[in-house]
Parts: sequence; structure tokens; C-alpha cells
Amino acid sequence: MRRLQVLKSLVFDSLDTITKGSRRYNLWMGFLTFVMLVGMYCYSIQLEHGLSVTGMSDRVSWGLYISNFTFLVGVAAAAVMLVMPTYVLHDIDFKQAVLIGEGLAVAALIMCLAFVVADMGGPSVLWHMIPGIGVFNFPNSMLTWDVIVLNGYLFLNISIPFYILFRHYQGKESKSKVYVPGAILSVFWAVAIHLVTAFLYQGLQARPFWNNALLGPRFLASAFAAGPALIILVLAIIRRFTEFKIEDKTIKKIAMVVTVAAQINLIMLVSELFKEFYAPTHHSESAYYLFFGLHGKNALLPWIWTAIPLNVLATVMLTFHKLRNNLNVLYFCCFILFIAIWIEKGFGLIVPGFIPGPYGKIEEYMPTGVEIGVTLGIWALGAFVFTILAKTAIGIELGHLRYKKK
Amino acid sequence: MSKSKKWYSLDLGFNRKKESSGSCGCGKTSGGCQSHEKEMSDEAYLEAAVTASIGEEVKKDGFEQVFDVKMDRRTAFKKLTASLLIGAGAVSTSCSVVSGDDTKEKAQIDWEEQFKGNYKLMTDNEKSATVERLMRSYELRTGKNISMTSENAKEDVLFGYAFNISKCQGYMDCVNACIEENNQDRNSEMQYIRIHEMKDGKGLKFDESDDNYYHEVPAEGHFYMGTQCFHCDNPPCVEVCPVQATWREDDGLVVIDYDWCVGCRYCMAACPYDGRRFNWSKPEVPEKEINKNQHYLGNRMRKKGVMEKCTFCVQRSRKGQNPACVEACPTGARIFGNLLDPNSTIRWVLENKKVFRLKEDLGTEPKFWYFMD
Amino acid sequence: MNRKQYVYILVYTCLFALFACKQENGEYHNLNDKIESESKNYHGTSLSSETYIGDVKTIKITEGVHTFLIPERKSQIQSFECIECHTKPIDELKSNDAKKKAHWDISLAHADGEVMNCITCHNGEDMNNLNTLTGVNVDFNSSYKLCSQCHSSQFEDWKGGAHGKRIGGWAPPRASFTCVNCHNPHDPSFKSRWPSRYNTKESEESDGGVEH
Repeated sequence: MRRLQVLKSLVFDSLDTITKGSRRYNLWMGFLTFVMLVGMYCYSIQLEHGLSVTGMSDRVSWGLYISNFTFLVGVAAAAVMLVMPTYVLHDIDFKQAVLIGEGLAVAALIMCLAFVVADMGGPSVLWHMIPGIGVFNFPNSMLTWDVIVLNGYLFLNISIPFYILFRHYQGKESKSKVYVPGAILSVFWAVAIHLVTAFLYQGLQARPFWNNALLGPRFLASAFAAGPALIILVLAIIRRFTEFKIEDKTIKKIAMVVTVAAQINLIMLVSELFKEFYAPTHHSESAYYLFFGLHGKNALLPWIWTAIPLNVLATVMLTFHKLRNNLNVLYFCCFILFIAIWIEKGFGLIVPGFIPGPYGKIEEYMPTGVEIGVTLGIWALGAFVFTILAKTAIGIELGHLRYKKK
Repeated sequence: MSKSKKWYSLDLGFNRKKESSGSCGCGKTSGGCQSHEKEMSDEAYLEAAVTASIGEEVKKDGFEQVFDVKMDRRTAFKKLTASLLIGAGAVSTSCSVVSGDDTKEKAQIDWEEQFKGNYKLMTDNEKSATVERLMRSYELRTGKNISMTSENAKEDVLFGYAFNISKCQGYMDCVNACIEENNQDRNSEMQYIRIHEMKDGKGLKFDESDDNYYHEVPAEGHFYMGTQCFHCDNPPCVEVCPVQATWREDDGLVVIDYDWCVGCRYCMAACPYDGRRFNWSKPEVPEKEINKNQHYLGNRMRKKGVMEKCTFCVQRSRKGQNPACVEACPTGARIFGNLLDPNSTIRWVLENKKVFRLKEDLGTEPKFWYFMD
Repeated sequence: MNRKQYVYILVYTCLFALFACKQENGEYHNLNDKIESESKNYHGTSLSSETYIGDVKTIKITEGVHTFLIPERKSQIQSFECIECHTKPIDELKSNDAKKKAHWDISLAHADGEVMNCITCHNGEDMNNLNTLTGVNVDFNSSYKLCSQCHSSQFEDWKGGAHGKRIGGWAPPRASFTCVNCHNPHDPSFKSRWPSRYNTKESEESDGGVEH
């Protein structure tokens, strides 16, 4: 009973925290709400007219939604790069960062699920996928694996920080016996969510661009670069606008993670490019399309040729200690790395998989306004969720939010 | 309806009332009776919810009116909540005071259709029940009758198809016949079949071929090759479907339950043969062009946001007829038959002609062969 | 974190992987094996395409190991019997004073003029019948026998079912069109024409074949 009371008090306290804030905070939340409303309006158009309002077609049947989904799974998985040193290796440095990282994972997962729902042709029959009521094609379909691992990861990433914050809220230390097993599990789980998501594409013999053994590892490498890069940026913002103390040491340690992951990612990219272009086969056409265009169709060129230089530039700059240890340079590097990987893992991965089609037909894909609107709406939703989570967590960690016995 | 279901289904009680027409008791015309009926159904509904939550002994006339399958309280309540969320629209229509008998029946049908199970797992009785509902629903909506069947795969039948690339002249009569037979969306000009115009002497260069030519055919120095769903024996599209909305029937047809499909398009990405089509918007066929001879798994009307594909005209082939494309082909380039019948013409083709299949290295085992004279 | 927990995690992972292992549902190595083994116990189907043959009058023929139905021909010829008119010489029939003209405009577009003429197939002495190259009478219903004299490979394919077209459906009994149902014997080739369809939606989206 007491716990319920504490919970009730926590809910009210956090509601109180998130509804009050500085002018800047209110503006930010108002802006996010507006974007979400625009997104909802766009989605209502899509619901009414069907997916024909998007740029997708029978030839390119997955587009912006699935691209963002794929990328965000990586961002979610990246939280583990903070969890492991903190909970498993007891590296105290990351303690403050890890709650932020897990909050980011929760927000990213919610966005993932939203993107998948937005991409569905029949959202009203999604219950067909719920095991027990519907029919769950497990283990044959990789999509069912993905549903399991994503929801499991969401659960883990909600429950661990919740436990810790709940204890701190009552002014108690959290017991490591309770959360460490969960943290260890989430380490494996994070690798699983991204590997399974890669397998979603990797297992399709129909699409040679995806059907290569490097896809899974490359997913992981790029995820562990882009995810922590985003965490660094978020920490930088939190450091600037709140009293929450994050030491330089922490940020620099995460920067190390980003650097190594980005380097591995680059090596894999080189390996992939070598395979596609040194001895090009019929199966290299998608890569040709992506990097050079095919038969005069070159819609993806500006994207990929933005991503590759940014990626290389960021990796090279991060490699030098001097540059990396300069925080402003680091933030810039993280920003361009994030953008580069977003393009590469999203657009640069999903769309060329469909081009050329099974019979060599080339039909290009361009997202429509409605599609972009929904996408922005979902990103705003993610930012909104994250802001709420972060504000509460910071409040508790700073001791502003404490359970008072009445 | 059968008691041995693998899922729940809901009956708001309208059907039952119809059977015992005297039970209404108010003796008025059907129009005046409605408010009374509405109350009854609301009561039944409430009672069910209360019974389920309080956990009293299940009363036959209350609970059973709502659920025609016995289930324990927990599942019932779980499912009730889940369905309430999604079916709120259907309930509000069905309980509306102003709606007439037809509207209520329609709402009842919509409700049952929304929450029916996967066709693949249905018993024969359930299959015919859903087919009945769909026919009745069409009648209520348009005032016209259609004939729909739920014929199962016949024993000792495995369908196979052969395509003679020396014979095809590229007239595309098959494409037209297919569109008309299978009620494909006229707005988006969906077509299951594509005829690829290939250059002689270049091998099978699909990327250099044209599948939307418009000039006198056969064109000099070209040959023609048709593609459609190949009904693979090891279909990748079936493996990837998260809800088993598509599967391979015993007679080898790869079919889709349009009502169970969630529209994730994973199967489309998995198909190496461009065999699948998606309804990006609401498919429309002019009323007078609708083929009313339908099969649940075949050419019945689709809705937006679901997959569809060639079914070797299941509505025809399961009755012994040839698919529409075979019948329409003026050159005899298309051969269809039973692979298990040693005396069938398809078997003769496979055993005596030099046949090949597309992308055999993928291990999909298509049941669609090409051959030359 | 102790060793016990690691063991637990390991065991659960193994169990999960074991449960998740993909079930091989096919008992056959490939499709050919499946067809071969399943057709060993073939008992025939209950389906029949007889009703779909409809009003077409058929006759049963046996050629080699193949027995099947083909459409009956003679009753379909408008002015059978031929000798009702063809008692006079052709020139006289063609002239303007002949009252009834049936097929006076026939011209032969079949092989070279030096190889073929009317009497290659028609029996000039007995116009009710056709004749082979060696002068043996052939009934109009069995006209395929004439075609098979030259087109032997097509004849083989037709007997087996690789050439030509089925009437009705795929189910037994097999009924196939005979040569003259698709090919005009006086002008047997298929004519070029425009395709019966053009997809306007698709042409908007892509511009068809591309050159490398």
C-alpha cells in the first residue's frame, strides 16, 4: 500500500514538474505539440486516402517511415554503450549519463513503434499481431522477432530507470542486486534488437543489396556511433540549460565510444564498397544506383554524397585526440556524424534495396509532404517524450523531487 | 456456428432476435421496434461486462448472447477490452436508435467481420459463415447478389503452369482477362501479369525489356515473356508474414486472407518475382464490370491497405477450369494443369520440353516454368 | 553478479534459440521430388471439365499414347457437303454467273506457291474429303493429319499438350483445339496487331525499357 502511495505521489510530482518550467521550456513544448498536431493531421489524411498519399509505390514499397524506424532502432540500442560501463563495469563516470541514455532509448523505441504503425496499411487490424488474440507467425517471420525484442527492450529500459528513480525519489539507494541482472540482460538485448532489425532485411534473398552478411555488424557499428553521438549532443544541451552536472570526463568517455564505433563503421563501409565495385555483378546495381545513379536516375546522389563526406570528416576529426577533446569540435563532429548515419542507414539503405526492382525496373522514390509531415510529427513525439522523461529524472536526481510523508 | 473455434467471436444478439421474431413483443412495425431492440442489446452488453468483472455464475441469456463461445472470465474480459477499443465505432452504429433493420444487420456483419479469425485456421463451417456474411453484406450495400465460395483445395491436386516464350506474341489479352476476372482496381490500373518485351539475342535481360509497350506486336527481333505470381513451393513471402495472412494451400496456391492482412508489405519486399501488389488506395471497380463469381481467397472485393496477387484464379481452377489468362491467350502459350496427374499436359511439357524457371538459384521452387518450341 | 546468474542467462538463451529454430516443413528435397513421390499414389480428381466444354461437339482421337477430344469439324462447315457445288470446275464456279458464292475469295498464303496448292490438301476428285500427299483420303474431322505431314514437331507437341490450347479446363477429360481452330489453313500465321492494353499509370511512373 505504501508503495502505491509513493507511486501516486511520484506521478503527481512529476506531472507538476513537467507542466511547470521556464519560458524557454514552455516554448519548446508548445512547438513540439504544434508539430505533433501537424503530424496527426497528415496522418489523418493518410488514414482517409490510404498510403497512396505517400511517395511509396509497388516498386519502392518501403520509404521514409521504415528508414527512420531502422535508424531509430540503432539509436535505442546505443543506450547500452552507457549501461554496460555503468552497471556492469561499475565505472562511476557514466552514472548521470545513463539515465539520460535510457530515456533516449525509450523515446527512440516509442518513435520506432509509431513509425511501424504509420507504415501499416491496416492499423485497425493491428490486433492480428497480438499473440493470443491474433496469429503470431513466430519464429518464421523476422518481423515477429522484432516485435518481441523491441517491446522487451522498451520494457527493460522503462523498468530499470524507473526502479532507480523510484528509490532515489524516496531518498534511498537503489539495490544493485535488483537492477544489475536487468542491466546485463539489456546489454544482450540491445545487440539483439539491432541485429534482429538487420536480419529483417538481411534475410531477403529477393534483395541482393540487403542480402549480405555484413549488414548486421554494420548496423551495430553505425548504431554505436550515431546513438552515443546523439547522447553527447543531448547531454551538452542538458548541461547548458539545467543545473544537472555532467562532467567533461563523462562526455569524453562517450566520445571515445563514438570514435571507435565510427572507425569500425568506416572500415566496414570500405569493405562493402570494395565488394560492390571491384568485381561488380548484377547484384551491385543497387549500389551503383545509390552512389552513381543508374540510367540517368539519380535521386539519391545528393543524399549519399552528403553522407559519405560528413561521415569521413567526422571520423577523421574524432580520431585526433586534440580535436576530440575540444568540446565544441566534438559537438560539431557528433552532429555531422549523426546526420551522415541518419542518411546512410535510412534513405541510403532502405530505398536502394528496392531499386532496381526484381525485374530491373527503376522507379524512384521521393517522400511526399504528407509523409514528411507524419515523420516530423513522430520525431516531435519522441522529443516530447524524452523531454518529459528527462525533466522528471533530472528533478529526482537533483533532489528537487522527493517523496514527502504526509 | 461451430463451438470449436480458435478465437472468440461476438454476436450482439441481433441474429438471435430475428430467429424468434415474436420475442420483441411490441407488435409494431419494424421501424417502431428499434428502440426496444436497442435497449435489449445495451442491456445484454452491460450485463456481460458486469458479469465478467464481478465474476458471477455465467448467465446463459446474458453472457452467451454476447459471446457465443464459452471462455473463462479473464480471457473474455481481456478480449472484450481489446475489442471495445477497436470496435467502438461498430458498436455505436449498431446501437443507434435511428438506424433501420438493415443498418443493424450491416453493423452486426461488420462487427463479426472485424473480429473474425484467420481464414487459414477456420473450420469449413466458419469459412462458409464468413462467405455468407460477405454475400449478405454486399446485398445489403448494393442490392445486388454475388456468389462467393470457400472451396478448399482438392485432394491429389498440385497446380503448375508453363509458359511458351516462342508462342507468346505480346497481345496482352491475358492481362485484360485477368483484370476483368479478378476485379482489380481500375483507378491504379493494377495488373498481376506483366508481359516483358525482350530483344532477341540478348538472353533474358529483364532490365532492358519493356513491360508497357504500345506498338504493333510481335515487334521485329523481339520475344515476349509473361510474369506473374509463380506460386513458389517454398515461398519467401509466406515465411515473412508476421500474422500468417498469406500461406500456401495444399494444392500449391499461395493465397492471401485480405481481411487478416495488416498491410506491412514485408511480403512485397521478400518476393523476388514482383508477384505481389498493394492497394495503396481504395480499389474501385464499376458495378457493372464486377465479376460476381467469386472465391474468398480469390477475386472478391478488396479494401485499401491490403496485399493482393495472382491466385491462378482460385475461383476457377478449384472447379476444374483454367485461369482466365490461360483461357484468354489466343496463341496457346499458356499451359495450366495438375502436376500430380502423370497424364496431364503440364506433366508432358515438363518431361518433354526444355523447361527453366526464373531465379532458380534462390531456392524458391516456383511452380511456373518457361519453355520454347 | 555471480556465476549462477550467468549460467541462468546462458540456459535461457539456449532454450530460446532451440525453441526458435526454424522448422523444416518440407519433407522433400525439391519440387521435382515432391511431384514425383506424391504423384505415385495419384487416384484422379473428382473434378471434370466436361461442363466447360459446353456446346462444342467433340470427337475422341487416339494418336500414339495420347487419347483426347478435339472439336468435330464437319458440322461446323457452313456448306457441307462440298460436292453440292463442287461438281463443276472451279473456273466455272468463280465466274459471275454462278448464283451461290461461298468462299470464292480464298487465296492461299501457306508455304510457297511451288510447294503447295489447293490439291495438296483437297481431294480434287472427291471434294467431300481431304487427301494426304500420297493421295489417301482424310476426313475433314481429322484434318490435323494433313498438317502433321510437314509440321511434325508441332504435331508431337500438340499431342503431348505443349502446342495448342485446351477447351474447357485443366481437369480431365482433355479436350484440345485442333490445328484449324486456331490457324486458318489457307493463311496459318498469326497476324501482328496492337496490344489490347496500355497501362497509362505505369507509363507516368517509369519510361519502360532502358538502354545500357
